Amino acid sequence: MAKRKTKSTFIGLKVTSEQAETLAQLQKALNSPTKTAVLLRGLELLASSSLPPTPPAQPTPRAAPQIATSLELSQIEAEARHYLNALAQTRNRSEEVMKQMVQELAKVDQTVDKYHGDRNYLIQILLDIQRENRWLPRDALIWISQKLDIPLSQIYHIATFYKAFSLVPQGRHSVSVCTGTACHVRGAPRLLEKVTDTLKIRPGETSSDLRFSLSTVNCLGCCALGPVMVVDEEYHSNPAIEEMEKIFSACE
Amino acid sequence: MPRLKSATDLETRRQEILARRDPDKPCVTICSGTGCHAYGSEKVAQTFAAEINKNGLKEKVDIRRTGCHGYCERGTIVVIFPQEICYLRVKPEDVPEIIETTLTKGEVVERLLYEGEDAQRIIHEGDIPFYKHQSRIVFGPNRFIDPKSIDDYIARGGYAALAKVLSGMTPEAVLAEVKKANLRGRGGGGFPAGMKWETTRNAPGEPKYVIVNADEGDPGAYMDRSLLEGNPHSVLEGLTIGAYAIGASQGFVYVRQEYPLAVENLNVALEQARDYGLLGENILGSGFDFDVMVHRGAGAFVSGESSALMTAIEGRVGEPRPKYIRTAVSGIWGKPSNLNNVETWATVPLIIDKGADWFSSIGTKGSKGTKIFSLVGKVNNTGLVEVPMGMTLREIIYDIGGGIPQGRKFKAVQTGGPSGGVIPESLIDTPVDFDELTKVGSMMGSGGMIVMDEDNCMVDVARYFLNFLSEESCGQCVPCREGIYQMLKILNRICAGQGRSGDIELLEEIAEVVRDASLCALGATAPNPVLSTIKYFRDEYKAHVEEKRCPAGVCKELISYYIDPEKCQACLLCLRNCPVEAITGGKNLIHVIDQDKCTKCSACFEVCPTRFGAVVKLSGVPVPEPVSTGTEVKRKRGGKSE
Ligand SMILES: Cc1cc2nc3c(=O)[nH]c(=O)nc-3n(C[C@H](O)[C@H](O)[C@H](O)COP(=O)(O)O)c2cc1C
Ligand code: SF4
Ligand code: SF4
Ligand code: FES
Repeated sequence: MAKRKTKSTFIGLKVTSEQAETLAQLQKALNSPTKTAVLLRGLELLASSSLPPTPPAQPTPRAAPQIATSLELSQIEAEARHYLNALAQTRNRSEEVMKQMVQELAKVDQTVDKYHGDRNYLIQILLDIQRENRWLPRDALIWISQKLDIPLSQIYHIATFYKAFSLVPQGRHSVSVCTGTACHVRGAPRLLEKVTDTLKIRPGETSSDLRFSLSTVNCLGCCALGPVMVVDEEYHSNPAIEEMEKIFSACE
Repeated sequence: MPRLKSATDLETRRQEILARRDPDKPCVTICSGTGCHAYGSEKVAQTFAAEINKNGLKEKVDIRRTGCHGYCERGTIVVIFPQEICYLRVKPEDVPEIIETTLTKGEVVERLLYEGEDAQRIIHEGDIPFYKHQSRIVFGPNRFIDPKSIDDYIARGGYAALAKVLSGMTPEAVLAEVKKANLRGRGGGGFPAGMKWETTRNAPGEPKYVIVNADEGDPGAYMDRSLLEGNPHSVLEGLTIGAYAIGASQGFVYVRQEYPLAVENLNVALEQARDYGLLGENILGSGFDFDVMVHRGAGAFVSGESSALMTAIEGRVGEPRPKYIRTAVSGIWGKPSNLNNVETWATVPLIIDKGADWFSSIGTKGSKGTKIFSLVGKVNNTGLVEVPMGMTLREIIYDIGGGIPQGRKFKAVQTGGPSGGVIPESLIDTPVDFDELTKVGSMMGSGGMIVMDEDNCMVDVARYFLNFLSEESCGQCVPCREGIYQMLKILNRICAGQGRSGDIELLEEIAEVVRDASLCALGATAPNPVLSTIKYFRDEYKAHVEEKRCPAGVCKELISYYIDPEKCQACLLCLRNCPVEAITGGKNLIHVIDQDKCTKCSACFEVCPTRFGAVVKLSGVPVPEPVSTGTEVKRKRGGKSE
């Protein structure tokens, strides 16, 4: 399989150069067959969404199904990338990583205990884990499902219904643009366009280097500054392009 | 802290707090609401603390961080007591001067005061026009109180209403008082609170629950947030009084997790209230037990609907259910549950304290008391305002809001959030009143008030709300899920210049079905933004559909940017700012936009100096042929000196 792959196709599928790079990385890491099996799950998902290459960044209309699917694709990619890193680490320092994972799940346990293992607090538990990790790792969800004896599907129902939850790792810096009504009438769409053009990601996405995650939010309570962009808790009132570039480049 | 065991204990505690406080001791209060916070109020507060220390005034001056004062346009707001000197737009750099002039010498810093029309400076907050026309009975205490201090609340008479209720009123008497006041719900529907309480009280089943709705789903409003952040005890006191009247022993606050400060202040308030014996068992020695739990909402507009909210509290996905049986009768875990909005609860202590007659003397026949609005959008004084019911939109927008910025023309005001509608200029004398606003095709809603000027496109506004609703519809029922989506699709194509004749009528037809056949109020009110814009701005829709023209110059596909060769002064600004290099030109040469390359980002339009005004937006007309490249500019007479 690895031999047949060229830069722009994968198992006979056309992929963008960025996706090709991720795949190449994955393949490099796949020496042992067992790990391959695990990793390939992510790739299978990727391949099964046999899609045309991602269309050029076009934030609206978000409802268009094609864009929704490609968003899904990029989320799968992000998740695959996370597991790739985890696996690469496992190879190097497996014991340490195991310990780390146990620690992570122990933290989940603590959270569950904080709510006395009461299923009625499922949403609160998920919120706490989301805040701790800034996303909901699949292992944590499976863990909770078993601990609280709640079907995993029900947990995913909640995790996908509410805006607060993310099923993919979030970037180190969060960028949000207020698209509340007041900001909208004061030009939030233009601002959002500038941000997507500069960061080259769309709302709901994370850049491939895990540097930025972009989201849109509703009223932040500072409409007087509108339209507003918030970068890691710092508020910026309708920044011009140069100012925006400066703000972003200050983010590691 | 020993628990308070009676109403007398509470009064004694209040006297102790007051005795410890010297009313003449200077106190610097710094607004730390979300608006001011965004302006950097925390830095201002820290600078005050550091400078006060440095000047050896630590023992002589108090510092207090308060909740939102409302005048968010002019943040950071600093008020210095006891003189109540109000400084606006305070920056950390201003702090040393304030300390030196005001705190040391007792004089005012003129330049930081509000400047009235005839350049007259106004010292006191209450005399500023923005505040002068308001009646801030619910929201006003925010500015005196540190939300993390229960003593601040008690010092101002807080919990006295609860003490009054527990020490001498029967639950029936409390209920009668609230019914007599005709308090209507502030969360949207305007349902009489007293009637709802009574239903829950009389419904069979124990325990009964009372709930605060602090989900604040309206995407353009923040009054519930500011109230809960700035004065959490007022909400808790109201809730406890309600619980007593209804016979509930457990309360919930459903607050969105996007409001971390509200959650934090609320939790602090709960702890303090428990410590003081104002929550928990045997409150104020009356034998009444009541406690409150916080449930953080994870962000879904539809979860603000009563049955959905209660399902969410049970830990499940917050989707509405058919309400053949109301939640007041069968809510959380099938028990009678009474839900009210933050502002509704915060109004209750006032009614008990000052009486139903006092309360119902404010407002109109059908709408009593005051209402807090978040007055935002194209208005000079953005902020939170509390006005008596019956005040006209004109008074709110012009007398309080100071009119429309940059001399633009007022076009419409949107109330009621995604469930509401737009109100055009011809109806600007409509009073804010539940029934009057519904009559003109909008609604009171929870208090969003978005002012729009001639640069806002009404089709785009309708599209904005439908886009929001299509993402927020839970999708259980077809009319809402598909109807909103189809309406959005039509609006999208109208805005993209692909509107077809008959689209407007089709919108009206779908709207009717969505309104009549949806399960919950999200769907049932979703057509309002569409219908009200069609009703009052049909011509604007027609311009989009028939002439492919967007009169407000908003819809991207319907506008072109063009540089007027007569006006271009070859300043190079637009050329440098165009992100896609669509502009050609050079020193002394007329600049030209290549329409094929232009992505309509508007950068050139924004940077072209207003005194030239050479870049123009065109809509509905063909772009004139460009001048041949290399044509020299026509210098304006007197060019540079202008
Ligand atoms: C889709 C939807 C969203 C709602 N969101 C809110 C909200 O965020 N805050 C609120 O107080 N009421 C909201 N409501 C209204 C509530 O269902 C309920 O009527 C209200 O909280 C009752 O309180 P009140 O009588 O004091 O107004 C919403 C209703 C619907 C249908
Ligand atoms: S009307 Fe819409 S939001 Fe309400 S239950 Fe039906 S689909 Fe869900
Ligand atoms: S609108 Fe934007 S892309 Fe078009 S010419 Fe002006 S600056 Fe360039
Ligand atoms: S709408 Fe953006 S801050 Fe209020």
